[in-house]
Amino acid sequence: MYYFHYHTLWQRYFENLGFKVVVSPPTNKQILGWGLSSCVDGACLAVKSLVGHSQALVKQGVELLFVPKIVSVSRREYTCANFLGLPDLLRQYLPASVSILSPTIDARKNTRTLRRSYLSLGMQFASSLAARRAWRDAAHAQHVMEQSAQSQFPVQGKLKILVLGPRYLIDDPYLSNNLCGHLQNLGAAQYTAGQVPEEASVQLVRVLAKPLFWSDARRSASALEHFIQRIDGVIKIAPFGCGAESFASVLIARRACERQVAMLDLIVDEHTSEVGMITRLEAFCDLLERKKSG
Amino acid sequence: MKVTFPHLGNAYIAIEALLQGLGHEPITPPLSTKRTIEWGSRYSPEDICLPFKTILGNMLEGIELGADSVYMLGGWGPCRLGYYAEIQRIILHDLGKKVKFVTLEVPRGNWRMARERLRHIFGPTRTRHFLRGCQLSWAKLRAVEQLEQRSLQARPLEKDHGSTSRLLETQLQKLRMAQNMKTISRIKAETDEALQDLAAATASHAVLRVGLVGEIYTVVESFVNLRLEERLGRLGVEVIRTISLTEWVEEHIFKNALGLYNQYELLRSSRGYLHSFVGGHGLESIARSVEMANAELDGIIHIFPLSCMPEIIAQGILPQLSADKKVPILSLVVDEHAGETGFQTRLEAFVDLLQRRCTYVRKEKSLSRC
Repeated sequence: MYYFHYHTLWQRYFENLGFKVVVSPPTNKQILGWGLSSCVDGACLAVKSLVGHSQALVKQGVELLFVPKIVSVSRREYTCANFLGLPDLLRQYLPASVSILSPTIDARKNTRTLRRSYLSLGMQFASSLAARRAWRDAAHAQHVMEQSAQSQFPVQGKLKILVLGPRYLIDDPYLSNNLCGHLQNLGAAQYTAGQVPEEASVQLVRVLAKPLFWSDARRSASALEHFIQRIDGVIKIAPFGCGAESFASVLIARRACERQVAMLDLIVDEHTSEVGMITRLEAFCDLLERKKSG
Repeated sequence: MKVTFPHLGNAYIAIEALLQGLGHEPITPPLSTKRTIEWGSRYSPEDICLPFKTILGNMLEGIELGADSVYMLGGWGPCRLGYYAEIQRIILHDLGKKVKFVTLEVPRGNWRMARERLRHIFGPTRTRHFLRGCQLSWAKLRAVEQLEQRSLQARPLEKDHGSTSRLLETQLQKLRMAQNMKTISRIKAETDEALQDLAAATASHAVLRVGLVGEIYTVVESFVNLRLEERLGRLGVEVIRTISLTEWVEEHIFKNALGLYNQYELLRSSRGYLHSFVGGHGLESIARSVEMANAELDGIIHIFPLSCMPEIIAQGILPQLSADKKVPILSLVVDEHAGETGFQTRLEAFVDLLQRRCTYVRKEKSLSRC
């Protein structure tokens, strides 16, 4: 589920360690269908699609599946309660012949532990020196990728829209019903939380009376702060039943209301249709254009 | 200060005593009803879990009764409970309620606010009164728990339906009024005797034993779980409740705040199924289910509010556990739309299944002995 954050890091790291890395194909109807038919019904869309993806990989003959238990990626924060039990949940849906590689990644105390947990993972398969070398190269690639994402500002569009939400939705065209593509077609320039540097994000969130302890929600809240002067509207997307996002919505809606920025709150699940999504986006953009032209 | 607080089962009896010890005037909101939930969900974000809505409803009803401060528990994740208070504070503020909202949590960073909170809580009290309040409140909490536990055992054996619940209600009210330790222990003894009188001389049927696991709010708050324990008791089932308030207060609130919360035992029990803390009571649900399955209970009921993240993980893992340990497990999800009839039907079906299974297993055992 954090693939869109760390795919460079993971792929490079494992390749350096001498693995043949197989990445599941982009989400499609069949993959989500596999997930839906086996996963527990209360889980959110992202977990269901993850189950589908891992089954797709198993069908491709993968023997070792990398599903890290990402407890936390920054100090005093959690990712999501679902992530903590993810490897154990996934175990239920996979044949016993597939082993799951799930290192615990926990940066609640400090972010240096991230490096340590990846290194100890690498040392299971390679010498300490090789693991270090692989890590340095992968971490560098990741850093370059993050830098380029931050400097990548959208081309001019007639509307400037901030798209907020977890990246496993925004960056996945199938799960988000191609939200970003449709916005592009409507001629909107998009800003995302990924363009805010992490340090700035941690600082910005101080405007809240109580800091949010979920990383994704915190990034959303601070991205709004960061871009609030520049944007015409905010679109917030969340999977149905997501705990962190439902609270973030309240905070974001309140702040957007204070600053008179229009906001569209979208909740998606496996029954969301693309047509309904397009209608709402068109209506929202029309509204923004009207507001802009006074 | 007139202080209101949300309900958590019958914990209000203990909370009242504690607040009195602190020199506040407790404004106990009426026990949760349909109105509470309706009111709460009107002002809540739509996809939040049921406890949030009910608690907000409690607060609104407490404020209606004239409270000027609200006390609520906070925390630092990963369960949503940690952020409840902040959102509720915002909602109440936006509704124009002029109340002082005090979040009880370990402070992080904002020391000025922490000092303000402490002053608000401990302002009107003297140490002597406070200590006495603590003692009384803890004793009451334990007594409440004990009475409930006894009534769970007594209910499947009662002669006329509903007598146990009625007795429990009157005893709890007496306990609420109790002002010293002596009265509390007298009430406990009295209840024990009375419960024995209620029981039929001979049980007409074998009592099934069913374990109850899940999210704490839905387990202890009888309105939210549609009086699950009473319903099961009436069907002739003894409920083994694994979630206890005293344990929660001890482990999750105090020890966790001090960093002493030890999950080693739980992790050992749940080995092979779940290998980490997932927030809330998710790990407990799995660990206790394993323990109860090993203790050969007849069945397990798992209850949680819709979209509760930790329990969804548990729900995903329980079917495997059920298959491995050969114990039937029923997962129940509640939200504000839960219907009583559907609920009752499912429980009856589950209990029927357990009864048939029980006779079948017994027959098999006696056959193998021959």
